[in-house]
Amino acid sequence: MRYAAISISTCIALAGAALAAEEPVILKVTGLIDDAPAHFTMADLRALPTTTLETSTVVTDGVHNFTGVLLRDLLAQLDATGDVITATALNDYVVDIPRADVEQYDVIVGYSMNGAELDRADKGPLWIVYPRDGHEALQDIRYDYRWVWQLSELEIR
Amino acid sequence: MRPLGRPGLALILPLIAIFVFAVLLAFALNRMVRVADDIRVNAEHNMLWVMHQSEIAARRLVETTLRAELGEADAAEIALRLDLLRSRFALLHEGPQRRFMEEIGMREQLSTLNQTLQSIAPPSAPISPSTAQDLREALAPFTRFFSRAANKTMIREWDDLGGRLETARAQLRQIIASLFGITVTGAVLILTLFFALRLSRQRTNMLRRERDFSALLVSSSGDGILAIDAAGRCTIWNDAMATMTGQPAERAVGRKLSDITGFFGTAHVQTALKASLAGKDRSIALQPYYRDAEEPALYVDLRFSPMLDEGRVVGAIVFMHDASDRYAARQRAAQTRGHLEQLVAERTRELDEALLRERSAADLYRNFAGMISHQFRTPLAVADSALQRLIRRGGRASTAEIVDRARGARDAIAGLTRLVASTMDATRLQTGQVGARRVACDLSNLLEGVRARQQAMAPEARIETDHPANLNAVALCDPAHAEQVLENLMSNAVKYAPKGSAITVHLHGNATKLHCDVTNDGPKIAEADRAQLFDANFRGQNSIGTRGTGVGLFIARSLARMQGGDLQLRDTDRGTSFRFTLPRYEGEK
Repeated sequence: MRYAAISISTCIALAGAALAAEEPVILKVTGLIDDAPAHFTMADLRALPTTTLETSTVVTDGVHNFTGVLLRDLLAQLDATGDVITATALNDYVVDIPRADVEQYDVIVGYSMNGAELDRADKGPLWIVYPRDGHEALQDIRYDYRWVWQLSELEIR
Repeated sequence: MRPLGRPGLALILPLIAIFVFAVLLAFALNRMVRVADDIRVNAEHNMLWVMHQSEIAARRLVETTLRAELGEADAAEIALRLDLLRSRFALLHEGPQRRFMEEIGMREQLSTLNQTLQSIAPPSAPISPSTAQDLREALAPFTRFFSRAANKTMIREWDDLGGRLETARAQLRQIIASLFGITVTGAVLILTLFFALRLSRQRTNMLRRERDFSALLVSSSGDGILAIDAAGRCTIWNDAMATMTGQPAERAVGRKLSDITGFFGTAHVQTALKASLAGKDRSIALQPYYRDAEEPALYVDLRFSPMLDEGRVVGAIVFMHDASDRYAARQRAAQTRGHLEQLVAERTRELDEALLRERSAADLYRNFAGMISHQFRTPLAVADSALQRLIRRGGRASTAEIVDRARGARDAIAGLTRLVASTMDATRLQTGQVGARRVACDLSNLLEGVRARQQAMAPEARIETDHPANLNAVALCDPAHAEQVLENLMSNAVKYAPKGSAITVHLHGNATKLHCDVTNDGPKIAEADRAQLFDANFRGQNSIGTRGTGVGLFIARSLARMQGGDLQLRDTDRGTSFRFTLPRYEGEK
């Protein structure tokens, strides 16, 4: 199955390369993965199995509905082996996320909120979202700083 | 007795302590929850970082325009930096951030700058130095705004933090005070508990001792003691009970009383048991208890008392006392009393008789003078006149006349002598000097002897005796007394009968008595005289003109009664009839 998945993603990657002129890369994954670095366009991410998540955030009011890719699945697909994920945002914000977070909670790389695509002029195009409302432990500032918006790169270490 | 106030106070103090303890604990908990809430650091308290990042975004954009003038940055990079700055404004317009901006009074400025930012379109490539310069000038107020916002944010957050720390300190002080109070009340409660436990242990020990003592009393009691629960089952059955009933405790405890022995099933006992279970005291005295058919019954006293627990009947206790000795004593006392009564009655009768005799003697002596004047006067006058005639006649009297007169005088004197003898007899009788010696005696022989003598003394009289052919005429009597009675009756009959008339003596009897009826055809005894006929010294109307002492019938009746018999005047149509009764001889006793 994994090989099949990789072959599909490879096709997508190839297709992505063919359409490189129109479709910009929005996420780069480097470090301890197969065939580093890996590049993803929005279309690549949307082609992956989607997950939705309902939660509140610390910077907004009310509960929002997020759609995206499970970070756990993404890393598995890339055969990532490291224990720490260093996430970098467009504004050079950098934070280390323990791999355990990803394994323990359904952390997603979200690309839309309440049905609307996330904008780079807001918190887009990608936002790491924790299922904050579902777990008491996640309602803590030590988790709050791991919510990286305007995500651009993941380095697996 | 303990004063009434003590238990109330002993109860109120721990209650107050518990109340205070609970209040303080609730208060401390409430304060701790508040502190816990307060010390939670929210992301909104990270506004200084937000301002810093925003300022950087603005400065990076300005920097990029400068680099664009130098030809080092392209339009795409300016668009990225512009988007990043716009995202900062977007963030600042969202809930928590917007509220903070309002708090520090920079909300309006933020909106104005936002409008400016939204109006700036990303420049299209290739980018000219003048476009870049224009853009940089348009962006000039942004860095100043964020610098001032950061300044205000710092002051605001420090004020806020200072206030929160102060509140937390105050709350912690309250918690400490509460904890102190909790410690004190806790100590009070622990002490109360300690004393209560000690008291409880003391009471438990006391109760145990009392229970042991009660058990000792119950087991060593000479009286039977048993207890039942409210359902009527036996719970206590002591040794004395086992001895009395022959049923050991193992067979009795846990069973219904009526199943243990039938005695407890009798109506009497059951009624008392029910009453005691209804809360009433009952007792039954001298109830016979049959252990088995051969042995004599025990006589037991039973006492039933209810056992109460806070006014509720939880069972009953029964005391069974062996009162057989008392029963026997009572029986003996009853017998003795009966015997005594009999004895007293006998003595009373004897005393009555003695009194009667005394009275008769007194009567006799009282009447003696009268009797002498009346009865003795006639013979004395006869003797006196005979002797006077002899004196008057002197020598003229013939020998025959002297003999005649002297005989007349002697007869009178002989009559006097008899009179004296009879009077003496009566006196002896009345003073109890005559006794009866009773033997078996054939009355028919005795009667024949008397008849022959009477016939000899009065040849002209017709005396006829008869009796049934097969009559057993053996009586228990004193023959001499019986003979005297018969002689008196017969001589009286001859004396008062008309000349030539028959005198009949009829001997007959029944199962226990023999009767001898002596009857003549003489004049009837007047009604008025009948009642006094047998009194000493009484002479009836019909005795006028006949000689007699007036004591004959009295003596005859006395003699008859002395022998266990009687003498009565019969009520008959023919002349006068007396019945002399004697008991039959019934063999040696």
